[in-house]
Order: sequence, then C-alpha cells, then structure tokens
Amino acid sequence: MMADEATRRVFPTEPASHLRPRSRSVKSLVSTPESSFWRTFRSSTLHPSYLHLPITSLSFSPNSSLLAAASSTSVRVFSSLSLSEYDPDFDPALFATLPLPDLAYSPSFRCDGALIAAGCENGAVRVFDLPNDKPPKTLRRLNAHSCASRVVSFPLLDHKLRLFSAGDDALFVQWDLPTETPLFSVPGAHRDYIRAGAPSPVSPDVFVTGSYDHTVKIWDARVDSGASSVLSINHGHPVESVLFLPSGGLLATAGGNTIKIWDVIAGGKPVYSVETHNKTVTALTLAKVRDDTRLLSVSIDGYLKSFDFSRFKITHSMRYPAPLLSVAFSPTGTIRVVGTNNGAMYMGIKKKKDEFEDQVGSDDFAWSVPLPEKPTSRKNIRYFKRGQSEKPSEGDFIIKRPEKVKLKEHDRLLRKFLHKDALVSVLKTQQTTSIMAVLEELVARRKLIKCISNLDNDELKLLLSFISKKATQPWCARFLMDLAKCVLEIRAEDIRSGGPEMAVHVRNLRSMVAHEIQVQRSLQEIQGMISPLLVIAGK
Amino acid sequence: MIVGGQSLVTSPPVFSHDGKKLLVCTGCTVSVFSTTTGMLITELEGHTERLTSIVVVPVAGTVGTKFSNYCWTASLDGMIFYWDFSTPDLLKKINVQLPVHSFVIPNILSASLGRSDKASQNLYAFISVEDANKGVENGKHLHGSIQIYDLTNSTRAGGVLAETHKPETLAVSKSGEFVGIKKKQQLNIWRVPNKNLKSVNMKKLKLHHTRTLSCLAFHPTKCIVAAGDVSGRILIWRGFGKMRHSQDGGGKMKIDMGDRPGVRGEDDADSCSTWHWHSSEIKFLMFSSDEAYLFSGAKEGVIVVWQLDTGNKTYKPNIGSPLMYFTDSPDPSLSCVSCEDNQIHLLRMPSMDIIKSISGIKPPLILSELQGDRSRVIIGCDRSIGFVALPTKDYRIQFFSLLDGTDISHLQVIERNYDPVDETTVFISLVEVSDDGSMMSTVEEKLPEMGIGGLISLKFWIRGSHTGQYTLSTIIYEPHNNAGVSDMAFCPGRSMAVSTSYCGNFKVWVNNSSFIHSGDEIQEKGGWRCQSVSSYKEIPMTAAAFSGDGSVLAVAAETKITLWDPLNNVLVAIIGDSLGPIRRLAFVGSSEYIMSFSSGTKADLVVWNISNLSTHWSYKLLVEDICCTRSETRVAVLALLSSSDKSISTGKDGMVLVFDVENPIPVSTWFVKKAKGGRLSFINNKLGEATDGKLLLAYINGEHNYVLFDPSNVKEQEDLIPKSARRPQSYAHDENVSHGYASIYGELPSFDLTKARSSDSIPFVLSERPWETIFSGSSHALPPLSKLCSPFLESLLQKAEKQTVLSQ
Repeated sequence: MMADEATRRVFPTEPASHLRPRSRSVKSLVSTPESSFWRTFRSSTLHPSYLHLPITSLSFSPNSSLLAAASSTSVRVFSSLSLSEYDPDFDPALFATLPLPDLAYSPSFRCDGALIAAGCENGAVRVFDLPNDKPPKTLRRLNAHSCASRVVSFPLLDHKLRLFSAGDDALFVQWDLPTETPLFSVPGAHRDYIRAGAPSPVSPDVFVTGSYDHTVKIWDARVDSGASSVLSINHGHPVESVLFLPSGGLLATAGGNTIKIWDVIAGGKPVYSVETHNKTVTALTLAKVRDDTRLLSVSIDGYLKSFDFSRFKITHSMRYPAPLLSVAFSPTGTIRVVGTNNGAMYMGIKKKKDEFEDQVGSDDFAWSVPLPEKPTSRKNIRYFKRGQSEKPSEGDFIIKRPEKVKLKEHDRLLRKFLHKDALVSVLKTQQTTSIMAVLEELVARRKLIKCISNLDNDELKLLLSFISKKATQPWCARFLMDLAKCVLEIRAEDIRSGGPEMAVHVRNLRSMVAHEIQVQRSLQEIQGMISPLLVIAGK
Repeated sequence: MIVGGQSLVTSPPVFSHDGKKLLVCTGCTVSVFSTTTGMLITELEGHTERLTSIVVVPVAGTVGTKFSNYCWTASLDGMIFYWDFSTPDLLKKINVQLPVHSFVIPNILSASLGRSDKASQNLYAFISVEDANKGVENGKHLHGSIQIYDLTNSTRAGGVLAETHKPETLAVSKSGEFVGIKKKQQLNIWRVPNKNLKSVNMKKLKLHHTRTLSCLAFHPTKCIVAAGDVSGRILIWRGFGKMRHSQDGGGKMKIDMGDRPGVRGEDDADSCSTWHWHSSEIKFLMFSSDEAYLFSGAKEGVIVVWQLDTGNKTYKPNIGSPLMYFTDSPDPSLSCVSCEDNQIHLLRMPSMDIIKSISGIKPPLILSELQGDRSRVIIGCDRSIGFVALPTKDYRIQFFSLLDGTDISHLQVIERNYDPVDETTVFISLVEVSDDGSMMSTVEEKLPEMGIGGLISLKFWIRGSHTGQYTLSTIIYEPHNNAGVSDMAFCPGRSMAVSTSYCGNFKVWVNNSSFIHSGDEIQEKGGWRCQSVSSYKEIPMTAAAFSGDGSVLAVAAETKITLWDPLNNVLVAIIGDSLGPIRRLAFVGSSEYIMSFSSGTKADLVVWNISNLSTHWSYKLLVEDICCTRSETRVAVLALLSSSDKSISTGKDGMVLVFDVENPIPVSTWFVKKAKGGRLSFINNKLGEATDGKLLLAYINGEHNYVLFDPSNVKEQEDLIPKSARRPQSYAHDENVSHGYASIYGELPSFDLTKARSSDSIPFVLSERPWETIFSGSSHALPPLSKLCSPFLESLLQKAEKQTVLSQ
C-alpha cells in the first residue's frame, strides 16, 4: 500500500531502443581519470636492432635506471635516464649490448640492479655484471637446460645468490650463483614447454611456472617433494605469462585470450576471468597508476589493456599497429615500453606532472581544525539578507527541489495532444530514432492517419523526404514501408499537384524501392545457393 | 479456506464519525480500514449478497455519550443490518424483502440527537429497491422504486415515492433536508419534513435538463443542487424549491418567468448555470465541507475543484485511473477517492496529496475488438509464495498475495504514460512466472493502426531481493517476427524458457549471464539469448510445457502434441490429434501423463500417455484452465458449463473438477460463478500448522475474485457443496475465514476495542483533577481535540466552583 503518486513518472517517447542500430563502438569519448593519466605519456618508437626480429622480453631494473630488451641474439640494455631525453636521430640511449650464443630470452635484473641474467635458445643461462664505466662481462654460465631456457628470473626479495630458470625441456631449476650448481631441480616439472614464470613477492623460495600443458604450478624450494608442486592450477589454455599480484596472495595467468586471477591462499580458487583481448595474450606486467596498481596485458591483437584488479574492471586500452609480445613498466611509474614482433619498441614517457597529483599534495594539513567563521555582525545589512544566497555548509541537510523533468519539444507537444505539431517538430530535428519513436507513439494513440491527412504541403515534403531516405533501412523498414504506402494513398492528390519538389521525393522513393528489390533478389539467390549446402551439412 | 479479491469500489466508502476508520463495501462484507495505516482492522460479515450502502450514525453532540461506532448497512439480499463496527456486533436485522440498491437516512442526525424522546423520533430511511416482479405499466418496465421505511418499527411507511426504470442511487443533503434522485433527464427532489414523515406529505420537485443525468449532490446548507450529465457538463441550480416547498400545500404560486437565467420551463429554481470541462460522464460531484468548492471527477482521472461563486477551477491530476466516488470525512483534512482500478486513495484535503492508498486486486484487462483468441490475457502465478502477477491497464504488473490478500508491489513493464481516456492499444498480453518465482517473462503488444506499426516484444525479468521486486534482464523485440506469442513456459531448475508463436515456430531461450556485484547493485552481463528455433510443418504453435525434470518439452502444434529434447532441439515424438486446436498443455507431476485442452466448437480435455503415445482418457468439455501439481498426480480443471445446463440460472457458469490422473472419474467437483477467464493454480500453503505442507488450490474467477482451499480434504468438500449452493460467490465457511490483516496478525479488533474504550474513557474518569490526566498518554491514543476541549473546560469550571465553595 504505497503512496502511488511518488512512483509515477513521466516517460518520454524516446526509449525506442529496438529501432536504434546497436552501436559497435562501445568506447565513449568521456575522459576518465585513468585515460587522462595515460594521456600524459609522450610516445616514441625505438628500433633496438635494425633487424626485424621480435622483442620477446622486456625488463626494467628495480631502481629503474636501466631497461633490458631481449631481441635477436643479444640483450640490449638502455639507460632510462637517457631514454627520457631520447632523440630519435641518434642512438646514445644504448647502454650496453650483452651477447648470447643464440636467440636471447628473458633478461632479469637482480634486486639491486647490479647483475643481469638472461636465457638463450640453446639452453644456456648467462649472468652478466653491469658496471657503470666498464663494458659488461659474463660472470657465470649456468648449463643445465637442454632446450631453450625461456624463463630466467632473480627472486624479487633481497636474496642475491639465487636464480630461477625454466625452459622448453620442462626442467625447473633454482641455482646457487656463486657455485653455478642447481640447488633445487625438478626435471619434468610440466608435460610441455615452460614459457612463463614469476618469483613470489613475499618469499624468495617460492616461484610459479606456467606451461603449454595448460597448467600453472607453484614451487617452494624449501619443500623437496620430488616432482610434485605445492599447487597446480589449470588455466585452460597454453599459459603465456604468469604474475603474482603485489600481495602475493593473488596470481594472474594469461593464456589464450583470457587472463585469469586466482586466489593462491585459498588453494587456487578462480577469482575472476577477463576476456577482453581478441587474440592470445602474450605478456603481463604491473603498473603503478597514481596510487593504484594496474595489471597491464598485451596481446597479439595489438592492444595494451590496463586492468584494475581491485575493481575487476578494464580501465583503459591502447592500440598499437603491430602484434605485441612484451611489456614493461618502470617501477617509478614514468616509462611504459611495449615490444612488438617486428623489432620495434613503443615507449611512452611521462612528459608532465599529472594535474591529479598536484591536487593530492595539498592535503597535508587536513588535520588542522578550520577556523570558525566570523559571524556577520548584526549591524550589517548582509546579516538580514544572509538566507538568500547562503551556501550550505558541510553537514547541512539539503532539501532538494524536485528536479524538473526536461522534455523535448515533441514530448511537450505530445503532452498537449498537439499531435501534428509534434510530428512536424520531430521531423525537423532529423533524428531518426526520435522520429520513429514519435511515429510509434502516434500509432499507439491512433492518431497517425489523422496527422498524415492534416499535414500541409511543406510538412508533407518533410515527411516524404524522411521516408524516402530511411524507408529501406532494415530496422525501420517494416514500419516505414507501410507508412509510405499509406501516405501515398491518402495524399495522392496533393503529391500529384505538389510541384517538382514533391516529385523529386517520390522519384527518390521509387528508385530506393527498386534498389531494395534488387538487393532482395540477390540475397535470395545467395540463400538458394547456401541452403542446399546447409541441408547437406545437416546430414 | 481463504476468500478474497472483492472489489473495493462497488459502492462509495464511508468514514466513521471521527474519520479514523473507513468502511468499505467488499462483496458481502464490510471491511473496516484504518485511515492512518491503510490496513484492514475488521470485517462485518452477515449479509449474503453484495452490499450496496452504508450509513454511519453520527456521534451525538452531547459529551456524556460514549464514542459510538454504529452503522446501518443495506444489501441486495433485502436486509438492512445495524452494527456496532468496533466490536463488531450485529445489533439489529430488518428484512425489507426487496434488493436494496441505495439507502439513506435523512433524519439520522436529529434522530440520534434526540434519542431520549423516542416517541416523536422514529428513524426513517429512504430506500431504493429493485422490484423485478413489477408488471409492465404503460409499456414500460419500472423495476426500481423509492420507498420510505421506518427503521424503528421495521415497517414500510407509506407507499412508493417514485418509480424508475432501474434502481437509482439516492442522494441526501448534509442537513437531511433534501433527498433526491436522478431520473433520466430530470432530477427528483423531496423535502423531508421534520415530523410526520409520510409519503403523502412529501412534495416532489422536478428539475429538467436536456441530457441524461449521471449524478447529483446537494449543498450542505444552501438550496443549491449540482448535477452532472453523461456529456461531462455540470449544472448548478441555485435556490431550488423556494416556491414549491415554502407554501404548505396551497395553490400554485405564480412563477416569475423573467429573471431566472438558465432555468428550463417551469422548473422551480432561481438560476441554473452550466460548467463544462469533463469530456465524459461525470462520476461524482461533492461539495466541500466549507461550502465554497465543488469537486467533480470523471474518466480522465482528474479531480476538478470548482470555486462555487466564480466557477474558477483548479485540478488534481495524476490519479492515474478513472475515478468512481469521492467521500469526505468529518475530519475536514481528510477525504478519499475511489478509482476504477480497485484502489481507494486517502487524500489530505486542501492540497489533495495522496497519503495512503488502499488497493485491492486489479480488475481484469478488458480488451475491445482484438482479434480472436489473442484477446485473452494470461496472468502469471507463483506457486511457491502464492502470489499472482496481474497485468494492469496502466502498463504495469501488480503482484498480489493470495494468502495475505494484499497488494505486494507494482512493476512498470511498458515505459509509457498512461492516460485513462485512451483506448487500449498497448497492453501486456502474457505474464509467465517460473515455478520458483525467480524468473518472469512478459509479452507486450502494440496494436497497429490501419496496418502501420505494431510491435510485440518479450521481456525477461529476474527477481530482486524482495518478493515481487523484479529487474529487467533482457528485452527481445519481435521474438517471432511479426507474429504473436501464444504461450511461454519456463524450464524447472534451469535458466531456460520457451516461447511459441502463431507463425509456426517456437524458440528456446537460455540465460547464460554472469552477475557482477558492484556495490549494492547486481549488474547482469549477457542475458537471454535464443538457443534454438524449431517448427513442425509450419503449423501454428499454440501451447508449450516442460516436464517436471525439464528433460522433455511438449509443444502443441494446433491439434498435435510434439515432444522435443529442449537441449539438443530434437523432435522426439508426436502424439496425435485432439479435436480442436490445443490451448494449454500441462505435464501431470512426474507421471507419464500430459494433459491438454482445446477450445472452440470441438472443445475437449484429453489426458495423453507419453510412454505409449496414446489417449488415456478424455472428456468433451469446454475447459478454461487446467493445473497440475508438480509432485502428485492430482489435476484440477476449470470447465465452463454450456448454456443449456440448469445451474446457469443460479449464476454459476463453471465448475472446478479435481481428478486423479489415473482415473477419469473426478475426485471432487464444485460449481463456481464467473468462470470465464478464470485461472486455477496449486500453491504451497504457508499459513497455519494444521494444513502444513499441503497444496492449496487457488481459483481466481473472471472478475479476479479468488478462493483458496485444500482440495484433498474430501470431508470438507462435502460440507462445502451445500454451503456453496446456499451462499453464492464462494464456498467459504463462515467460521474459518481469515482475511488480509487478520490472517497474518490474528484477531486485531479486540485489541482495538480496548484501546478505543480506554482512550474515550479518559475524559470521564472521576478524578479529582482531570486536567492532569486528560492530556496524558501518547498523542495517537488521545481522542480528537474537539472531544477533549469540552471536558477540559468543564473540569476547569468544576475547579472554580470548588474554589468558590471553599472561599464561602
């Protein structure tokens, strides 16, 4: 038993959504804070090698001064400081080139940025040092893999003597660097190539590997349980990339065109699945966006997408002209790099201070109690007038005036039952959906025929021009074809005597109908060709 | 046994003398609602036919009398009852013997005032009765007559005042001075003498108009009468009857023909003015209690407030339904308006805001001139909770709880402004609720104008957190191209539905949506999609049903039943011909039987055996609805009786049969009224422990009155049949009926009585210092200020006297 009145609202004639062709471009032009953040990056292109070989992996050093890119048979290390003043004309950005015996994979910096390790197509894993003034030299050669060592990684935590590696021979090894000996080795860790791996952000002994056998396994070097992992998760597609989210409790895996988030602590429970890429997702990385962290993913379809894993929402996406293989984001949050399969690297360098960050800076003194406002003196005339333009202070309960329903011209006229005027006014707007909505409303009120017969010649021209433009559009054809027939029947006399302009509209209509018949005929031909095939296929 | 669904708006409601209760005629009972909460307080049961009028006895002016809650009621069964409606007790029965259509007591105020001298003051009532046996006089059937009845002595006083073609509604002025009726194009007005009320000394005054009049109202104090006609005009006669009534039966006074603007012929009035705003028949006229305004209302759903002196008008729009009656209460800030959609809105007076709405079950949609079979509107029914989903005229669905007899919620289905004047061109033609109530689908149709336009769309809804709260999931425009949807069915236990169409195909819809919880709201991704389309020889598909486990889908292709595997869209079997096109299908529990019925000239009811694809048994019956239980083998059938049957004469045109599906002999049978358009459904019983777990059978008739009963209780039925024969409309017991409020919260009236007594006894407590206790207690329990004032002042007086005594 509710008070009925409050719930009754006014419905405009607009929601004729069945008429609107469904728009494919979902992306709105509305600027979100996220998109404005990404817009502050100045983009540039870099070709590390002049060969068109894919850039399989990118990595930033933890203190963010260096960027390593694996391409061809070398790992190229760039200084990010010089990158920020990068000039495409000459190439001083190159800091060092680390040679490897075969195609280089997966460069990884140690937590202090002093060492870099990389894998290689023939299975060798090399560890280089990176002194500032001297050319880099190979410190250690780790040979255990018989096939390409695709995954090489230092632990994220402060554990400088360990290194993880895994490769196409399905072998997973934890190395002791000084002695070049494996500490913990699992032969046959997976049943297929291991192509992804990541160290845990909370423990130096925990590592996750992802393989083409669709599984993701978590290993703990402290638990020597033979070939069995601590936890195994089935992703459902060949896994291309895995990543621990900053808490270490959530795991992101990418494979096929899906990215999945898993709860590791809950024993590998699926939390969420993202399917926004059209092709295989190739790499994942974390990015610092203002105070938040986003998961960046790149895919063969050329899109870089930013995923907010706290709200489970894609917040931004960027398109690149080539299939993307690798992505890296500098720990300072100022450089974004993606690597493509044709040797080009696309960089975005943050060019200016975010206006958003400027605002944040001023809340240091939010603790201080605001000074009580000086009461206006009673002698002042403003005291007596103060009610009129008084701004509500915080904590005041504001009684809002009921919002006035904004109605369009044709809606106002329809409410006054001025049907013909409404029709004419909406025809003048030339908005097809509105016109169709008004026409349907007139049908519902049983007033359309009357309206048509009451239109004067100029208004009839308007209607005819609308019909002749739209009559064969599939989503309003059924309505408009009938309407056209009806208009021509009712107003035959006026159209005949309507002068050349009217004749043009009628001619347009006729040619349009003729064209439509042509189209229908050819469609029927096609249908005739297809239907026997379908029948055969059905058997 | 629960009976409900009576119309609240068959006759005008009446306020109690303090304006705290509203007495509404609901079928054979008077329902007493609280005006503050809008809830049912009590019911007065006793009449055996529809009630037509209520007269509340006004409270006597003297302070010494207690608050009286007395009223007179009149009904079509020819009885006039006198009630104390606070207890509720039947105090007096008077048999008039003729069906009373309207009934007023002009001198009720003076009679109750001077109750002490009984001899002089008999209570006289004007009754408008129907006398069907009246012969033909001068070639006219005069069925109605106006008579005077002496209520004190229970005798008819004098002869017939007037005779009319059909029984007319009586109107009385506030002071009780005038009583009037409309009679075609004229008003008949009688002046009621203070003494010696006999029909011979009543003087009739006629006022003429050129159109048929529809209603009339008297000014509370002045000699002004207002009448509305069928074309929407309002006529105001001022100073009527001055000449005729002033002279005491003497010769005719000369009528001054000169200065009487607007008065027709020799009518006895000073002036007559006409106001015209309404476009259709005026439904009510009412003078405001301050005598300055006149309220009028008609089909537009707008109350027009006319200023009497100037004729200026203001409007109260947005009531949203054709108006029926307007009643003002003794409390000047409260009045109520009854709408055709079975709602009574309580209005706060000067501003006319709706404070509360008392709403009953919505009347059925009546669609004019729609093509053939498509005109039927299917209402949905939720078995688990026992509510029905009824499409209403204003493009909404009302969810009505059958068990509680209350309106649960409304859902706007079509986003369109409703105007009561418009003819129906857009309507909800089908509502289907899934068995557990979690899903609902609606089909709405927009009718074309001369072949232009027209649209059928299918909407899927999912249930929100509350019962009766649904959110839109998917809209499918033109689900079967241009053809109408004949039936819908939900698959039990799965998000799957099927819709059949007259164009010869059916579609299976599936919902594979995921829900995203963002804050409080549940967003739905995906939605209902068409999984498969199938047809059988391009024959129009007329009905569909899923088996209890959802593994078999039966679709009726006119006279044949086709069985499908809904998941793989494979035709499994065909069961052959019924006599006519099948209208509805139902699987019988988990058994191997399926039931169908067809309508038309070759109507039949058939039970088919699926295992051997043959007819199990069949009847040649015109069936309106069938329903089956999900677990047992019982089926209930609502059959229409053909016109040749005898029981038609008693007004019963249908019967409910309960079968055990194995046996073609019905287990039990009842005759019912107004079965056309009725619906049957089994619902889970959640009331009372005694019949716990048992299914109740709900029968909703064509006028949306309903009854719930336990069909398994055979003994009870045997009692019922003679009862139902005596008491039309329903087969209800007198004792066990618990309605609406009372059914949930138990018997309220006793509590209310003590409260009322305690509150009114306060002023009369023999306290030393009554001014201290008089205003104590919570504010809502206090009697109105008008009642409190005099005892308070009295108490002050007493105090002064004492003081004077002391000083002496």
